[in-house]
Amino acid sequence: MAGFDLLGDGRPETLWLGIGTIFMLIGTFYFLIKGWGVTDKEAREYYAITILVPGIASAAYLSMFFGIGLTEVEVAGRGMLDIYYARYADWLFTTPLLLLDLALLAKVDRVTIGTLIGVDALMIVTGLVAALSQTMLARYSFWLVSTIAMIVVLYFLATSLRSAAKQRSAAVESTFNKLTVLTLILWTAYPILWIIGTEGAGVVGLGVETLAFMLLDVSAKVGFGLILLRSRAIMGDTDAPEPSAGEASAAD
Amino acid sequence: MPDDPAESVAVLNVRSVVGIAICFVVAVGALFALPALRSQGLGFSEAFWLISAVELVTALGIAYFVLNLHEERV
Repeated sequence: MAGFDLLGDGRPETLWLGIGTIFMLIGTFYFLIKGWGVTDKEAREYYAITILVPGIASAAYLSMFFGIGLTEVEVAGRGMLDIYYARYADWLFTTPLLLLDLALLAKVDRVTIGTLIGVDALMIVTGLVAALSQTMLARYSFWLVSTIAMIVVLYFLATSLRSAAKQRSAAVESTFNKLTVLTLILWTAYPILWIIGTEGAGVVGLGVETLAFMLLDVSAKVGFGLILLRSRAIMGDTDAPEPSAGEASAAD
Repeated sequence: MPDDPAESVAVLNVRSVVGIAICFVVAVGALFALPALRSQGLGFSEAFWLISAVELVTALGIAYFVLNLHEERV
């Protein structure tokens, strides 16, 4: 099995969970230091959200590393499955906040933000039910519901929020598009990994699955934050549309 | 100093900052709370769903406090 049993408790995946904890902590402190002393009103909001995302993820990875965030579920025909439930608790906290970052960037109204977060919560909760179900039929059924909810969330991002971001400025549009592409690719990989992993069909072992989830989590949280916080789109004065070439030369 | 004496300025809302900090601490604590909840007599499912609810509510709390991170003052 891929990995190395760091704690000597028969879990080689602790190597990936330990590395995940370190990456998330580095991301948290990097964003914290970068954001220290920021006075721009809007930038502060992005920093507050983006620091908390890897912050809670590092705690979730630490709890999984020490085996606190782990349980076993008896599944008919598959026997006992190891389920890292802290992963789902982490996603319940972090995915709404990642979506809030995108919603703030696109400057959509609070009803749209509420709808987006509501469908996102449905996606994670049905994923949780899938993880804890004791028959494969129930597991696959709830996985399907969760995946449909994810498609709705991603559709919202790629349509309504994208067109709202386009109305703001070239910097906002560019940053939003980068983050949306990142989110579309990474979030789509999660249900694929789940269905081929130990909680689904069991094609991939727990070590490889934990490594892949760790890489996805670090990219979707720390990678997302790096793109967002390095952009000037988070500053409060980016609402004015960029002047067209003709307007710019006329101004000269 | 603003040109217009009646112009409002956005200042950091201390209550929102405290709210964010409390939500974060509760969310982190909940991630490690399952063994303690089970030792209090709760079954795995009850403890697990309680923790999940705490994570979701604290995330919503943070969303609320971030959206109200500043207040306008004249």
